[in-house]
Amino acid sequence: MELGEFERDNAESCRLGSPVPELCRAGPCCLGIDEAGRGPVLGPMVYGVCYCPLAKQEELGALKMADSKTLTEAEREQLFGTLDGARDFVGWALHILSPNLISTSMQQRAKYNLNALSHDTAIGLIQHVLDAGVQVAEVFVDTVGPAEKYQEKLKRRFPELEVTVRPKADSLFPIVSAASICAKVARDRAVKNWTFPEDLGDVRMEYGSGYPNDPKTKEWLVQCLDPVFGYPQFVRFSWSTAQTILESKAVPVRCMRAGFWLLRKTNKSRVRPVPSRDPRSWGFKEENEAPSDTAQYPGVSVSFCPCLDPRNCRLMGITDTHTSGGIFCFGLTEAALKNK
Amino acid sequence: MSESSSPIRLDLSSLRGAPQDVLHLLPCEVEHNGSAPVDRYFTPAIRQGSQEKSVSFRGRSLKGQEVMVPQGYVGLVLKEDQRPCTEEEERTVRLKSTFGTLTIWNLERAPSADDGLLLALSWPGIAEAIHAPVSRKEQ
Repeated sequence: MELGEFERDNAESCRLGSPVPELCRAGPCCLGIDEAGRGPVLGPMVYGVCYCPLAKQEELGALKMADSKTLTEAEREQLFGTLDGARDFVGWALHILSPNLISTSMQQRAKYNLNALSHDTAIGLIQHVLDAGVQVAEVFVDTVGPAEKYQEKLKRRFPELEVTVRPKADSLFPIVSAASICAKVARDRAVKNWTFPEDLGDVRMEYGSGYPNDPKTKEWLVQCLDPVFGYPQFVRFSWSTAQTILESKAVPVRCMRAGFWLLRKTNKSRVRPVPSRDPRSWGFKEENEAPSDTAQYPGVSVSFCPCLDPRNCRLMGITDTHTSGGIFCFGLTEAALKNK
Repeated sequence: MSESSSPIRLDLSSLRGAPQDVLHLLPCEVEHNGSAPVDRYFTPAIRQGSQEKSVSFRGRSLKGQEVMVPQGYVGLVLKEDQRPCTEEEERTVRLKSTFGTLTIWNLERAPSADDGLLLALSWPGIAEAIHAPVSRKEQ
């Protein structure tokens, strides 16, 4: 299993998989879907599918796949090796969702919850396998949310497939067990070999399993907190564990409109601020005062340097080393100033 | 300047030789005035896409665009060492550094030509054009 493509940019998502066995293009196949790393506050969530010809189900059974949760890491690695050895009739594909993608999706303005993200990822993987020429006939899925609703959703999307959504499908159907092993092996490797794009300096990298109840994970979350930036992208900011620590230990961040105001003169010579299109939604009340310093032009006036009056400062910037409610402005060049 | 506020003095002696700074404009206010590990947490995580830059801040997606300060202008980062107690007192701001470009970050969508800041930045060029003397020929 080669995760290089994900490791090159672990801020996004990545799909990867085995070559498609010829047998899977020739006859009807079953396909299992499962996920790994749904609960942890750290690291990616991995969706896995595994498929094989219906005619080869007995051989698959002989590989003795089991629910990945009942296995040790070493046993999972060994079973993944077994699957890899059966590459002439078993294929797999993975979709790795980075923690950054999970954080930004769940916290985006148009809310995108984890269940919807999971369903869309599963649908994308089924389509990906179909596009690769696999003759999928039956699909077995470990449920996310209520099983009936999810099954209906998948059936509507893929009317030609026979879809079975079940809780604990990973221990009921060998093809789902196989998918769960692929997903879990990828998740473990991604977490173990995580390369931080950030430069965390002296922070120790003993972050444990990533589950919120793991004392090592908890300790790491407290230790690596930065009051301004919060956490590296490895942490799922949308998890309540992270949010609780941020609320109590990090500096508050408030929304605001765009830094500059364009003012337009209306009739009766009143100056009316034209705010930027959409108020930033960061879950806070937006501020709504007009800047005080404006340079007037006929018909239009533009606020150029609201920041010279920090009490009405609309600008918030960070320079290489500082954040500041600081003052910056666009001034004239030295030569221009001399001419004045 | 609004009528109520006192004059603000800008000490320009420090303009020559002031260091250049890298500037990012965030769409939010961080209630913190002081040092922050920008070069460790923020800068290395910026990715350059084909259309825009992207990064995340506190688990929120930001899209950015690097823009130049209008021609003939220079960006100044100013610092007020001591804020006077009353509004009537004169205030002095000191030049900390200068900048020629800045990166504007928006929440989730890239800055577009409709953004107030970009519109404002295009104003000096427009102002110059409309106030330029018109030759007889063009009339």
